[in-house]
Amino acid sequence: MAKIPLIHTREKKIYTIFTVVVIILFAIATVLTKFNPLQVIVSSGEIWNFITTDFLPPTLTKPVNIFNAILTTVCLAISSTFIAGIMAIITAMFGSESISPWPKYAKIIRAVATFLRNIPPLVWAFILFSSLGIGTGVGFIALVISTFAFMTRAFIESIDEISQESTESLLVVGATFPQRIFQAVIPSCIQDFISWFLYCIELNIRASTVVGMVGGGGIGLVLFSYLKTFRYQTAAGIILIIAATIILVDLLTGYLRTRIMQND
Amino acid sequence: MTEIALRAQNIIPSVHVCKKGKIKTKENHQDLDLYIFLMAMVLVSVLSFLPLNINWFKLVSRMPDIGIMFGKLSQLSLHNFDYTLIAFVETVAITILATIYSIFFGIIFGALVSKNFIKNRLVTTLLSSFFTFLRAVPTPVWVLLALVCLGLGPIAGIVGLSVHATAFFARAFSQSFEDVPPEVIEALEVTGANKLQIFFSAILPAAMSMIIAWIGMRFEINFQESAILGMVGAGGIGFAITTSLQGYHYGVAGLAILLVFVYAYCIELLFTTIKKKFIQ
Repeated sequence: MAKIPLIHTREKKIYTIFTVVVIILFAIATVLTKFNPLQVIVSSGEIWNFITTDFLPPTLTKPVNIFNAILTTVCLAISSTFIAGIMAIITAMFGSESISPWPKYAKIIRAVATFLRNIPPLVWAFILFSSLGIGTGVGFIALVISTFAFMTRAFIESIDEISQESTESLLVVGATFPQRIFQAVIPSCIQDFISWFLYCIELNIRASTVVGMVGGGGIGLVLFSYLKTFRYQTAAGIILIIAATIILVDLLTGYLRTRIMQND
Repeated sequence: MTEIALRAQNIIPSVHVCKKGKIKTKENHQDLDLYIFLMAMVLVSVLSFLPLNINWFKLVSRMPDIGIMFGKLSQLSLHNFDYTLIAFVETVAITILATIYSIFFGIIFGALVSKNFIKNRLVTTLLSSFFTFLRAVPTPVWVLLALVCLGLGPIAGIVGLSVHATAFFARAFSQSFEDVPPEVIEALEVTGANKLQIFFSAILPAAMSMIIAWIGMRFEINFQESAILGMVGAGGIGFAITTSLQGYHYGVAGLAILLVFVYAYCIELLFTTIKKKFIQ
């Protein structure tokens, strides 16, 4: 009869509440969207049919064009991350309360970064497309905005976490703002900054593909045009190439990150 | 004085007294790697501008247009607000359903991928490389493919999002499962528990806090993804934003964007408090 309770009562209560909330949300969402998982299972034959007859085998038409488009997408990701990174380092110096020369205004910078970050890059792209017209340059700005906001937040957190003690001790001996930055913040945070930079490149390769779909150019646009004109075999080839590029970039950034962190 | 200095040098012969009286703070050998890396990074970044064919002059000269755009967007209008709200609720519903389904499948596949649970190396390697592929393709592509197979509507959004999120969870959960100390599993194996019992009474509870952290992280991403689904053709708030921007109803679009922001911000706050409270 007497069972030993495996989980703490308080913890158990939390899990019960959590489960109930999830079930209620699930029920409401299912009713609202009229999503019936059985429908997917029923039409799985059709999906399989589509994959085997329309989609396979993946082919590539105009490989030179596709290669150029991939190059554009990758370059767009790297260049926008670079510009956003430089802007974010400068902004983060003023946005971190522990080192900013005007700590009162640090909160404002943080709020602006939060606002910019919580709007998806594709929404930025659309806002910019409707004011500047479509094009790679506009996609570039959209990526810069969202990456800048993300990196600013990440850098501020790194600065606050890592270099607090060293900046404080420099402040005590009377170091000026530039001295504190170049002697304490940058040396102690540079590895974190690089790690975030590499992570943002990973994110932006995906984002620049997506932004490209709606008018930013690059491989996204090429893929979108093939899908829209029902040329699925070429689309399948392009999807494979996109996946291969992203996996390669992920492997490269992962390798570089471990190398940089080893240096510690 | 000199005598003391000489004695000091005898005791610690390696002390190198700089002529300028500065203490050496840099390790040149260690910093070299970093410098090379930074230089290479800058070089690659600068080179990456070359193939872009962007007319920078034109772009910069049109920057003020962005300000004008924001002016237009900030004149929020309640025109067609019920339509925007319905689209927004639909997006939230898609997010919730996609997250729940992908958690369910993510736990199953996560268990099948984790090396300490499935001993067959071939199965884990094949499955994990398959999920790496699924993750490498951006979500909107999956949604577009789901649109082709299943037709318009939220179903394509849910399926497309779930594919990507399941692949994400499978990887994330399997990492958490593999972090469970082997003693825990061995202890249950010794008592003769079967695979399912081991999974549900040892591995899953031990990895629970990590799983909740991953879910919180993915929920934010899922919302952002489902907010943009409409822009590639599925329904939801993204579709409302695009149509109102294309129809020059900037006030309506502004309100929809604000809605997206407020919701994303609330979710972020919610999960930071949850993380602070339950996961130390």
